[in-house]
Amino acid sequence: MSEEAKTDDQSGVDRGLIAMFLKMSPEERLQANDNAFRTIMELRDVYRRHKTNERKPR
Amino acid sequence: MSIGGTKPTSANLGELLERLLEAGVDFILVGGLAAVIQGAPVTTMDVDIVHSQSPENIARLLAFLKSVDAVQRRMDDNLVEPKERDLSGKGHVLLTTRIGPLDILAVIEGGRTYEDLLEHTVEIDFRGHALRVLDLKTLIELKKTSTDPKDKQRLPVLKETLRQLEEKYGRGHDKEDSPKE
Repeated sequence: MSEEAKTDDQSGVDRGLIAMFLKMSPEERLQANDNAFRTIMELRDVYRRHKTNERKPR
Repeated sequence: MSIGGTKPTSANLGELLERLLEAGVDFILVGGLAAVIQGAPVTTMDVDIVHSQSPENIARLLAFLKSVDAVQRRMDDNLVEPKERDLSGKGHVLLTTRIGPLDILAVIEGGRTYEDLLEHTVEIDFRGHALRVLDLKTLIELKKTSTDPKDKQRLPVLKETLRQLEEKYGRGHDKEDSPKE
């Protein structure tokens, strides 16, 4: 294993993911973040509703 | 997300940035979104800006905030609109708007203001406007001193992003927008 790869393993950074993001334009990166934002909010909402239903007496 | 009295009816951080630029507000994009735009694969839930505190700019910023129904993010349900004195002070104003959360910072790490940070920005052409973004190198320098666990966690990702950028475009890469391949 190269020294560079070892460093990568130690830091736990996904270098391929960074390379992928660097191939995108700033606008595309922003859209990717906005999509992630909306997905996170949707999942949190689903989770909250699930928890609320769990607490309801049957 | 706990945002107190209200929550965004939609979240579109790109639109929030675009609307700020359209309103003619002088600001520097800092924080997570500045890192995202420069290629760091992190996710952020708000827009962080450092604004010029000139009276004219504060007036433009206040008008913009009114147009997006901005209110302070609070733990209670009170709806408190930001005031002129909030934006001309030295603190952080954390807001919820119709199109996403917005943090307005008078100063960031080390007491740096808009004027202090200007020389460390990169200008990006964003939807027909010039968007000033704090450069990745300065973001890393500032995050090194941060005590926020989130910042510490992100630091290796930011450093590796800068390393790859410099490898690809050289050390002067941040003087202009990175080309899309």
